[in-house]
Amino acid sequence: MATTTASITIQSDITTNPVTITKEMVMHKFQSNVGIEETTGLQAKKFAATTAVVIVENTEGTAGKASKVYIRNTGTSNENFFYVALNASAAAADTTETIGKLYGGDWMLMPWAATAATSHDITVAPSTTDAMTLEFMVFQE
Amino acid sequence: MATTTAKLNIQSADLTPGMALNIDPPAMTMYQTGTTTGLELIDMGAGRLTQASGADALAEALGTADTTNYVYICNTSTDIEHYIKIGIHDTLIGHLGSEEWLFIPWNMGDADAEINIEAEASGTIPYEYAIFKSTFTLPAKT
Repeated sequence: MATTTASITIQSDITTNPVTITKEMVMHKFQSNVGIEETTGLQAKKFAATTAVVIVENTEGTAGKASKVYIRNTGTSNENFFYVALNASAAAADTTETIGKLYGGDWMLMPWAATAATSHDITVAPSTTDAMTLEFMVFQE
Repeated sequence: MATTTAKLNIQSADLTPGMALNIDPPAMTMYQTGTTTGLELIDMGAGRLTQASGADALAEALGTADTTNYVYICNTSTDIEHYIKIGIHDTLIGHLGSEEWLFIPWNMGDADAEINIEAEASGTIPYEYAIFKSTFTLPAKT
């Protein structure tokens, strides 16, 4: 059994009383205390077109099992971004179902229901033809 | 201007034998859409879900469509049977197990793009959340 931990620290002074959220989780198999044991490994891909691209296919996961996906835009731009979507082919803002936008330096870590359908492919679409790089990794049982 | 940052670290000494994993990117700063102006809207809370309540909207997309927002949700239950389904409108994103959290961008792609949560397994599942927003429109008075 492997032990994989992910910790997050969020700090904000939006409110007059500053907010700090600190949480650590161990990535477990579904409804289990056993750690996940598989990963795609950390991948990096450079993009230079606005075409939507599937970075994780639904077939890479197993329905009903625990999966987590880490994605990060390694750039620094505050104007250019990647759309991230659970979708068959595209990641436009109004396409079901776009999750959100990752600007330079932004990251996300989410559970992933690897439903066996293209509706659960993980698709990204750059907002620009300027070169941008995405790193990503899937953790699964 | 407010400053909101999120720092991630993922570590494993044995997931990939012989290659210890340590993903430790710099803290990200959350900006308003396409700018270097920090976010100034926050929605935080905690609650309890029961399976009987079905899917509930944790946050409606009551802001400007296609903007920059971020969502943190944590299932604070310690019972390994307890998990929460997380979705955007009709699309299931994934299952958040006990003591697990997620952090995602949320662009409020359209008015139907609500964040929804649903308890699975009997019992009461506690959760916490924080949503950092670029825009927000208060619901209309009834």
